[in-house]
Amino acid sequence: MAAPFTLRKIGVPPNSANLTEARRRVFDFFRASCRSIPTVMDIYNLQDVVAPSQLRFAISAQIRNNAHITDPKVIDLLLFKGMEELTDIVDHAKQRHHIIGQYVVGEGLVQNTGSKDQGKSDFLKNFYTSNYF
Amino acid sequence: MGLGILASRTIRPASRLLQSQSSNFFLRTIVSKPELQSPESAAVSQPEPPNQILPPKNPIGGARVHFSNPEDAIEVFVDGYAVKVPKGFTVLQACEVAGVDIPRFCYHSRLSIAGNCRMCLVEVEKSPKPVASCAMPALPGMKIKTDTPIAKKAREGVMEFLLMNHPLDCPICDQGGECDLQDQSMAFGSDRGRFTEMKRSVVDKNLGPLVKTVMTRCIQCTRCVRFASEVAGVQDLGMLGRGSGEEIGTYVEKLMTSELSGNVIDICPVGALTSKPFAFKARNWELKATETIDVSDAVGSNIRVDSRGPEVMRIIPRLNEDINEEWISDKTRFCYDGLKRQRLSDPMIRDSDGRFKAVSWRDALAVVGDVIHQVKPDEIVGIAGQLSDAESMMVLKDFVNRMGSDNVWCEGTAVGVNADLRYSYLMNSSISGLENADLFLLVGTQPRVEAAMVNARICKTVRASNAKVGYVGPPADFNYDCKHLGTGPDTLKEIAEGRHPFCSALKNAKNPAIIVGAGLFNRTDKDAILSSVESIAQANNVVRPDWNGLNFLLLYAAQAASLDLGLIQQSPKALESAKFVYLMGADDVDVDKIPKDAFVVYQGHHGDKAVYRANVILPASAFTEKEGTYENTEGFTQQTVPAVPTVGDARDDWKIVRALSEVSGVKLPYNSIEGVRSRIKSVAPNLVNTDEREPSAFGPSLKPECKETMSTTPFQPVVENFYMTNSITRASKIMAQCSAVLLKNRVSLDLGFSLR
Repeated sequence: MAAPFTLRKIGVPPNSANLTEARRRVFDFFRASCRSIPTVMDIYNLQDVVAPSQLRFAISAQIRNNAHITDPKVIDLLLFKGMEELTDIVDHAKQRHHIIGQYVVGEGLVQNTGSKDQGKSDFLKNFYTSNYF
Repeated sequence: MGLGILASRTIRPASRLLQSQSSNFFLRTIVSKPELQSPESAAVSQPEPPNQILPPKNPIGGARVHFSNPEDAIEVFVDGYAVKVPKGFTVLQACEVAGVDIPRFCYHSRLSIAGNCRMCLVEVEKSPKPVASCAMPALPGMKIKTDTPIAKKAREGVMEFLLMNHPLDCPICDQGGECDLQDQSMAFGSDRGRFTEMKRSVVDKNLGPLVKTVMTRCIQCTRCVRFASEVAGVQDLGMLGRGSGEEIGTYVEKLMTSELSGNVIDICPVGALTSKPFAFKARNWELKATETIDVSDAVGSNIRVDSRGPEVMRIIPRLNEDINEEWISDKTRFCYDGLKRQRLSDPMIRDSDGRFKAVSWRDALAVVGDVIHQVKPDEIVGIAGQLSDAESMMVLKDFVNRMGSDNVWCEGTAVGVNADLRYSYLMNSSISGLENADLFLLVGTQPRVEAAMVNARICKTVRASNAKVGYVGPPADFNYDCKHLGTGPDTLKEIAEGRHPFCSALKNAKNPAIIVGAGLFNRTDKDAILSSVESIAQANNVVRPDWNGLNFLLLYAAQAASLDLGLIQQSPKALESAKFVYLMGADDVDVDKIPKDAFVVYQGHHGDKAVYRANVILPASAFTEKEGTYENTEGFTQQTVPAVPTVGDARDDWKIVRALSEVSGVKLPYNSIEGVRSRIKSVAPNLVNTDEREPSAFGPSLKPECKETMSTTPFQPVVENFYMTNSITRASKIMAQCSAVLLKNRVSLDLGFSLR
């Protein structure tokens, strides 16, 4: 096995020139975060709670959420925020309940504000919740 | 003024010790006058107050007094107040107009006068003894006094007599809390009793699975006897014996099988006749009352649903003079326990192995939305059930139409029913207007089992004005005198051509009423039958500007609204060639007619017959859980009110169809009930005006000539079993018991005929 992955903190990178570069940066970010998953599981003792594949799925879902964006500057900003979040998690600046509540997909633990309910109207959202609205 | 001897006794402090502390001790003086010590002298020396401006009195209950002959009004004085009453009023009714409620047990405003309880005694000037106000007619210038010592003593005495033989059952009696005897003894009875002998007891009678009898509690008011013979038309009950040995019962071992038998429970002022299914279940003060509408038949009787938490405990009638007066049929009253059984609570999809699996709403709607796009528009069929409200039928029709199909109808309306002119499916003389008829011609309808309240109205008219009734149809039993004219369309043809002996009675009647049953809509020759009925109507002046006697009696609560909204079956082969069938509560659909490869969605509240064929089940709410608009057979629009919360994960009918439309991509433009109602307003505005009757605008003169001929098959009975007609009653245990009794009676009747 290669040496364990370490997250190198680079300064604020310059803006990406076009969409292709932004895409490349997104995939680099995804690779870096997936490679940090074993460290995260070790730090927060998530071995019995979640499988690495589920964490990968959670990360990819969040990225897919914003898959419709085409402006490179917006993508850069989102990547910056994503990197900030990833650094916080790897630095143990968060705690276990944060990770479980935000990234472990369970019964209603993570709000599925993803693409499933995005296009739906208030009526349908209320209808799925209860009869009285 | 004459005070006489003023006797005053003062209480002085007994001992000196107390006197020293008695600086602020006051002397109490007891003053008594001879007028206060004897009732007669008090009555004599009452000084007349000078003519003050007295406040106007309102009749009790906010009732309106109808003067049929304004010149014939009499003036009487009730407790000093002058009131004007119509000529035939009794003293009790005059006191009601004056706002004075006189206690009574045996008097009921809708029954004949008995005058045997003597609780309504009031004092009338110049009369040697107090008079029974329920029986004494009010004469002009009568001075009635209801709160004098004589009247009060009379009430105390009557109360004492009634309570002498009355058992101490209040803790175990169901009527406790709503008992006339309890209330009136608190208000008018004396505070102590003097009875030291043994009380008598009476053996209980078996009146059937609905009415529980504890005849020891009976006070022999005979309200039930008069109700059974006058309103229900069956002479089942009677008073046997005399004096203290009097017993109410059926002389033979007979059960009360009338369809109005449950109303004696309301009428009985004590706990002698109570509801057997409701026995020992709840006290009336822990129940929440909700005023709503019944949907078991097309009459729309006003009911009050008493519920405790999520459970409906009982159903009681509400007063509505125009539709059901104060009565409801047994089916309406006792079907509530079907609301607890066989309820659909979660969306379900049929697996590949044929079993149903509970899923979430997202998955169920997604599956239906997928399938509906795979079929051609002509193969989509929507059928509304007999208990559907107008909002859900409107949304269903909009959805099916937006998917490109025209095949949406309500069950009970066969192919080719013409809903252009409203007179052709409504009760045009209105249910209360039937009282003015003096001749009834019933064509293919048995009102006793189809609409019990309409039958009660006919019975009332027959009893009051000796109206004649002629009936064309299969042999059926009626609770009034009825001539069985024939069994089929041949008799109709004879009457139309004037050859039948009944025609003379028809011609001589001033206000004839023809009632046609909606079961005839399912016949292939219905156009011919309807045109012959209309020719009878025309020949005998049945439809006039002041009286429209051509009536149609619908069978289901949803039928009138569906015909107003336009849910009509256009093509006869729609169901046989369907690939997607949406059943919204439709259980009476012939499931065999649906092709084997069709995808069936069932949306309803009970797992009845059609569920077993369904591929997807969507749970909906029942009529006690939703706010829905229903139109009754005379065109009167009413709204149900939710009394209990929905079961499980069920939703309202219209919300399900609206959500399905959004998931299928044809999102409907409204998303609240006000939006649905404004959509209904543009289609059938009478359905938005609740508590109003919209009469039909045009008469039969606009209909084109009919060329078809009538077939000779006789009319078939429409309702086989009165107690099992919709999904709620089929799931009810009480209804099952009643129908078992009914079948046993039928079998024994048949046996009796064959043994002769």
